Amino acid sequence: MRIEKCYFCSGPVYPGHGMMFVRNDCKVFRFCKSKCHKNFKKKRNPRKVRWTKAFRKSAGKELTVDNSFEFEKRRNEPFKYQRELWNKTVESIKRVEEIKRKRQARFIMNRLKKGKQLEKEEAISEVKKNIHLIRAPHAGKAKMMEDKMVQKLQEDVEMGDDQ
Amino acid sequence: FPFSHSAACAAIQKMSRVRVVDNSPLGNTPHHRPAKCIHVYNKTGVGKVGDKILLAIKGQKKKALIIGHKMPGPRMMPRFDSNNVVLIEDNGNPTGTRIKMPVPSSLRRLEGEYSKVLAIAQKFV
Repeated sequence: MRIEKCYFCSGPVYPGHGMMFVRNDCKVFRFCKSKCHKNFKKKRNPRKVRWTKAFRKSAGKELTVDNSFEFEKRRNEPFKYQRELWNKTVESIKRVEEIKRKRQARFIMNRLKKGKQLEKEEAISEVKKNIHLIRAPHAGKAKMMEDKMVQKLQEDVEMGDDQ
Repeated sequence: FPFSHSAACAAIQKMSRVRVVDNSPLGNTPHHRPAKCIHVYNKTGVGKVGDKILLAIKGQKKKALIIGHKMPGPRMMPRFDSNNVVLIEDNGNPTGTRIKMPVPSSLRRLEGEYSKVLAIAQKFV
């Protein structure tokens, strides 16, 4: 029993689910659900259909190169059954899954952090542009001019004193 | 045109053209006419995977076993892009020596009668 991958969306196909299609060049296509099968019959390229893993990986939206993916690669070497090897493999599967999920999540979070920064900058520029909604344009100008004039007079007086 | 233009997806019956998938000389030598089914050994005249049929190839009659068809069947059976067939003798022995096309693994239930055909299949699907 093997959990296959759907050709279109790369999701898992559990036993008892989905459909299989064999092309005349002996290539086998497995689909997890009729949504994927129907898209395939419409000749859609999974690398261009946005919700598939194929698109996300090719567009750099998800982790592509990582050591934890080496564990899932298909090996065509049969192994002689050893009980300890089997048990160790089962435990390491759980650990590798955990690590892989964390790494993938971190990759996506890092990708989305940039959005937060851009949002902040956009907010600042928006406030600057629409400052007239928050504070009247010539709100403290009169008082400022008065203070300036007072200061200038004081300076003149001081200069006069010095002389 | 708003209508779908996919090819007909039917099972195998009399007069249906069929593709011979093993490496027998009778199935592989080119002939100006494709192999046609002339009888289905079934109560209904409709042949599904695992049924025996009679073919007319190169002016001769030959029995064959249906290996896959274009019609979608039970969900766990693969659907093929052509109606595939393997040439057989009267006693159930295959005429060819190898079947390169993937064969549905649900044919394993015919282990008693067509075990020799399954033995020459190279890939089960």
